[in-house]
Amino acid sequence: MLKKLFILVLLTSSVGAFGQGKFIAKNAFISFYSSTPMEDILGESNEAVTILDAEKGEVIFQAIMTTFHFKRALMEEHFNENYMESTKFPKTKFKGTIEGFNKDMLKGPVANIKISGVLNVHGVDKTITVPGTLGLVDGKLVGTSKFKVTPEDFGIVIPSVVREKIGKEMEITVKADYLPFGQ
Amino acid sequence: MKIKYIILTLLALGFIGAGIGLKMFFKPHADINKLEAEFKVEATSLMDEFQKEENTATTKYSEKVLEISGKLVAKSKLKNGTDLLILEDEMQGVSCQLDSVWCAANQPAIQSLETGKPVTIKGICKGYLMEIKVSPAVVVK
Repeated sequence: MLKKLFILVLLTSSVGAFGQGKFIAKNAFISFYSSTPMEDILGESNEAVTILDAEKGEVIFQAIMTTFHFKRALMEEHFNENYMESTKFPKTKFKGTIEGFNKDMLKGPVANIKISGVLNVHGVDKTITVPGTLGLVDGKLVGTSKFKVTPEDFGIVIPSVVREKIGKEMEITVKADYLPFGQ
Repeated sequence: MKIKYIILTLLALGFIGAGIGLKMFFKPHADINKLEAEFKVEATSLMDEFQKEENTATTKYSEKVLEISGKLVAKSKLKNGTDLLILEDEMQGVSCQLDSVWCAANQPAIQSLETGKPVTIKGICKGYLMEIKVSPAVVVK
């Protein structure tokens, strides 16, 4: 009985780690940071969803704008109402492919990768290539990325009065602890 | 004499303005525990609405305070310490991130929650992303 159970656990765990299919993170982290002379602006969300296709190396990443949390309620309000227009554009999406993808990337130690794809923010599509890392941390597949975006590229209008107070570029940080799902 | 009153009035107005400005700047986040729920719904019917007509449901529920009842299927802690409750379906159910301030004061209540049992939560609906995202939330019963 115990042996059977052991084999079963071994089977399911190996299928989990190395099986074909997809990896998912339902509570992925994404932050948005801008340094300003007055005050640093930091918005964080732990509610992004990302799926990694283990066959093709495709990555989909989505977040709901209103899940970004800021230190001050007023910042949150401005972010959603004035800049992101979250009612009109509730989500941000990224769909891309890991450059030079091979399945060993999902089984090895953390290594640097590049992902190219289309980022949609505020209803505007932009093709980007961003650096990242991917690999196993304590037996779990972890993906990260850090890159900069310019609000104006996505049609986000920042009034000239406050333009100087908001950094020209926003730093986006992404971190996902993937779990295998589906076959 | 007259000019003195004008200056005083202007000063007073300035102070009031600055006061309002500061109050707005330091406005705290909404305390979910004190907010009245606008909708009381079953988790399953909420999932139905979002799965059938995501846009309609998003317009109806997004940023609204909801009281949601359903079966607790998963209870976990995120890396940053946030307590996470999932109702009805682990993959496509209702995912609730609990309010950290409320959690700090109500750890026994959270610990006593058992998976498989019914639970009612109150929180702000954020919309649909594979599952229904609710945050921050508190446990009602």
